[in-house]
Amino acid sequence: MTEGLQSARRGAIDPHLSIRHYDADADLMLLHFGPQHPSTHGVFRMDLYLDGEVIVKATPFLGYLHRGVEKLCEKLTYVQQTPVVDKNDYVSPMINEQALNMAFEKLLKLEVPRRARWLRTLLAELQRLASHLLWLGTFTLDLGGALGGGSTLFLHCFRERELILDLFEELTGSRFHYNTHTIGGNRHDLPAGLAAKVEVALAAIAARLGEYEDLSLGHAIFQARTKGVGTLDSDLALELGITGPILRASGVDHDLRRDAPYHAYDELTVNVATEHAGDCFARASVRFAEMRESIRLCRAVLEGLPEGPIAASKAVRLPTAVKIASGQVYVGIEGPRGEIGTFVIAGGDTPTTPYRLKIRAPSMHALAAIPYVMPGATLSDAVAILGSLDPIMGEVDR
Amino acid sequence: MAVSDTRRVLPVVRDESALPYEHPLYRSLLGVPGLSVATAVLDQLLEWGARNSLWVFPMATSCCGIELMSAAASRVDLDRMGTIVRATPRQADVMVIAGTITTKMAPRVKALWDQMPEPKWAVAMGSCAISGDFYRNLYPVVPGIDTILPVDVYIPGCPPNPEALMHGLLRLQEKIKARTGAPAPRDPVLAAAQLAAAIAVSSNDRSDEPVGEEQELLVQAPDEVPFTEIASDYDTILREQFAVGEFPADGAPIIPAARHHELARTLRASGYRQLVYIVATHCKAKALGKTSPERYEVAYGLRSLGKGSNVASWRVQLEPGASVPSLVGLFAGADFQEREQFDLVGVRFDGHPDLRRIMLADDYEGHPLHKDFPADAPCAPWR
Amino acid sequence: MSGLVHGAQYAVMIVSSLLAVIAIGIWFERKFAGRMQSRLGPTIVGPVGLLQPLADVVKLLQKEDIVPKDADRALFDLAPLLAVLFSLGAAAVVPFSPTAVAADLDIGVLFILAIGALMVIPTFAAGWASNNKFALLGGMRAVAQSVSYAVPLVLVVMVPVILSGSMRVSEIVTFQSEHHWFAVWPIIPGLPAFALFFIAMLAESNRIPFDIPEAESELVAGITTEYTGAKFVLFYMAEYVHTLVGSAVGAALFLGGWDGPFKPGLHWMVLKTLLLFTAVYWVRWTLLRFRSDQLMDLCWKRLVPIAVGLVFLAAAWVQFVPGAR
Repeated sequence: MTEGLQSARRGAIDPHLSIRHYDADADLMLLHFGPQHPSTHGVFRMDLYLDGEVIVKATPFLGYLHRGVEKLCEKLTYVQQTPVVDKNDYVSPMINEQALNMAFEKLLKLEVPRRARWLRTLLAELQRLASHLLWLGTFTLDLGGALGGGSTLFLHCFRERELILDLFEELTGSRFHYNTHTIGGNRHDLPAGLAAKVEVALAAIAARLGEYEDLSLGHAIFQARTKGVGTLDSDLALELGITGPILRASGVDHDLRRDAPYHAYDELTVNVATEHAGDCFARASVRFAEMRESIRLCRAVLEGLPEGPIAASKAVRLPTAVKIASGQVYVGIEGPRGEIGTFVIAGGDTPTTPYRLKIRAPSMHALAAIPYVMPGATLSDAVAILGSLDPIMGEVDR
Repeated sequence: MAVSDTRRVLPVVRDESALPYEHPLYRSLLGVPGLSVATAVLDQLLEWGARNSLWVFPMATSCCGIELMSAAASRVDLDRMGTIVRATPRQADVMVIAGTITTKMAPRVKALWDQMPEPKWAVAMGSCAISGDFYRNLYPVVPGIDTILPVDVYIPGCPPNPEALMHGLLRLQEKIKARTGAPAPRDPVLAAAQLAAAIAVSSNDRSDEPVGEEQELLVQAPDEVPFTEIASDYDTILREQFAVGEFPADGAPIIPAARHHELARTLRASGYRQLVYIVATHCKAKALGKTSPERYEVAYGLRSLGKGSNVASWRVQLEPGASVPSLVGLFAGADFQEREQFDLVGVRFDGHPDLRRIMLADDYEGHPLHKDFPADAPCAPWR
Repeated sequence: MSGLVHGAQYAVMIVSSLLAVIAIGIWFERKFAGRMQSRLGPTIVGPVGLLQPLADVVKLLQKEDIVPKDADRALFDLAPLLAVLFSLGAAAVVPFSPTAVAADLDIGVLFILAIGALMVIPTFAAGWASNNKFALLGGMRAVAQSVSYAVPLVLVVMVPVILSGSMRVSEIVTFQSEHHWFAVWPIIPGLPAFALFFIAMLAESNRIPFDIPEAESELVAGITTEYTGAKFVLFYMAEYVHTLVGSAVGAALFLGGWDGPFKPGLHWMVLKTLLLFTAVYWVRWTLLRFRSDQLMDLCWKRLVPIAVGLVFLAAAWVQFVPGAR
């Protein structure tokens, strides 16, 4: 059924085979892992067939958080959509907003002012840093448990993340769902003194990152739990459509910030971190490198932030202000979990609402790897693998 | 009720089934003469213990769950008031429903609630848990968790700050002290009726006409440069191997369903190795083109890697009832994508090994992104 | 008969003081963990949160008692009781001062090991009886872990026995007070044996990095997944008692028990026990968790050979060093 096989692992595992194929007597334990489980990062469920502790087959089940966002978007006008997509990948709302508004801007052939593009770069990198900090915290929580060493690193990561949320709160008035990007620019300019606070927060995080690296990447137990676990080769990762840090940890040097630049990335140099092992450890070290790179990029943006307007000349106020007669675009940008994209078909019954809007969720592709990487791992590894894939169910299910 | 006069308390319907749990031993002790003083003291002690050790079961489904974690983290630190998070419902006292509850999740929430030992309390955190937020009129979302469980404390916000959660738990402590039970869950049938009425009112209010002075930002003329940038290598493939001469202005090139699989394979061999999206759209008659009949359009995008990365995209048009060849053989990632499009839009993919619903429950009827599916579809509170 | 009365008196004293220490120990652990995590820990209930463990117990005792459908009722009820019983049992032969010992058995060390090995029964019974897959997996992990780690534990406990020439715990302590603490001299095999004992004790009492039978992030709450209210309290207590008694045994066998500078006595024993107890929590709130096969790997491929070597070294020390005994 598969043709022109590229990945050996895909030839070895067919996720659609019945469990009877593995074990004629069905003498395996079926464990429903989720949808409510401390380590499923939301409401994700996998059915694990266990032989003792070893996973024989894993089947993912989605949709426990399917909220009908795409149907809602067909109902709302272009201007009203930003707060809706905030809730998709709720760990990086800034980047969601950017992916959405960039698609509308492309439909409108709208030029975004230079300052707005630099500001968006700053927000995107801060958000990436916050998102990776949350990933590190939850990942060690998975490895170490809520009543142990895992929670210590988790709480420290959250402490650092709060620094970034404070900056966002000062900028937009909200800790979480910002609604700060609009079609053609940004809503909120940096208030006086915020740039200095960003510097302070970055310095604090940069100073402590080394310590966290010692506690995780440098730690013997962390290495024992992650090295050689959940190996995903580059061919399989590409076939699955996996993007972002997971793809780079499998040895594919691909980052949209550098390869298809948007925002201010064409004016900045983006160093892309790659690893070749493709295991949980490689994914962790890629994310650590990305945190460092985000700090560097934030500082570079603050240095070179140009003056000027932060929105295109015509301000968008009314919900019905934006009308698009027809067109069909896709815009994908590099989020913390990979390529976040928006596909829009304009036109249809009303010019103010999209006819169809689809959000490309990188986590959904990452979860597609589960049937291939889980077999052969133990139950403990399953938790580590799931943590290293870093799924956010809000964007998977939408 | 030991609530201060300045605070207005809504009348609470006392439902016997919703009264706090009493240990059988406690009831028998009450019968012993002279023990009333002792039991009063014991009562105080039990209430003090229950109030000061609220262990939380995190029913964290979405964004509010992150704020719940923030509340347990160093800045707010729920452990100060003795609140810790337990992963098993058997050892928890308070279920904090943090996030949207969908109809697929609702039976699980109810089961977990039933697994918690009495006395227990429920806190609805955030507007999704309270009312369903802006998803409430949509097909998969439960319009408020109080159609399933008796909720003691509502914490508004989207999401509420961690401080707000702590405030909510402190209010719950007051409530335990005052011994007021939670109201019974809203009647699901009544709630559905109320919801339908609310929708009827709101859709009367709404009109698509602009309010006040209309600001027209830009109206796109359809005959400008195409939106889809076609890279030169893709252009060559299309022209030379697939005889596509001119490209439509409003989107990606249209490929006949019979040759679309071949195109995908050719593209994969020439460096477009990453499947980016599969989007199916149901187009009603005369939608997106004045003369076009009712049809399905499936758009595909493949990405090339490395510097100058770009997306090669194409569309396949299908008559209603027709199906499109599956790409699962070429791209493992197409598995979930095609299932999602089948589930939501209703397009069938030929050769998909396991074309089942993925987002909605297996016994769900209809395809919500089909254009005939109503946009405001009040669901039964939970199925 | 007077021995029995004496034993009963001390048993009551030791059990009640152990439980009091545990109540404060839980509070201490939560404050300690809070400080490690740059937060405060309990502050509101009672002065500096001291009454927090009491509130937790009062709360848990009034919770509904749920027995899952199709659970093995008798085992399900018995397991928490046995857990407390066995974890307290070892305390009977630990001398807290030359006189404060419930039963100074001449095979005290053997008794400790035997009782410690029994702990696997309530743990597995709880896992089996709960009729829950997570609990069952936890129980299976616990059996494998306890049985494996009993081997290095027995071997390293032989080191002080060989060095002192007695199995009576009070005699081992007396020997140390007359010569040197075994953790200090002979430095080889004393100190490594003490380190190994600490590791094996962590594993026997299911503490991080060896807490795989509970492993909240994998098994929800492991063997205690289905336990509510009072029965959960018993498990919770057994866990702490196990750790505390383990610390006391370590203090007696390797750190010279009641011996200390200035004025030897009960206070030194208590201090050493609490220090070891704190060290357990220090490790707990710092390290991540091993995987079960790595745990076995560590036990059989590293700890057991080293422990065998240490036993031989101890024998050689006694045999060849003049004045060793």
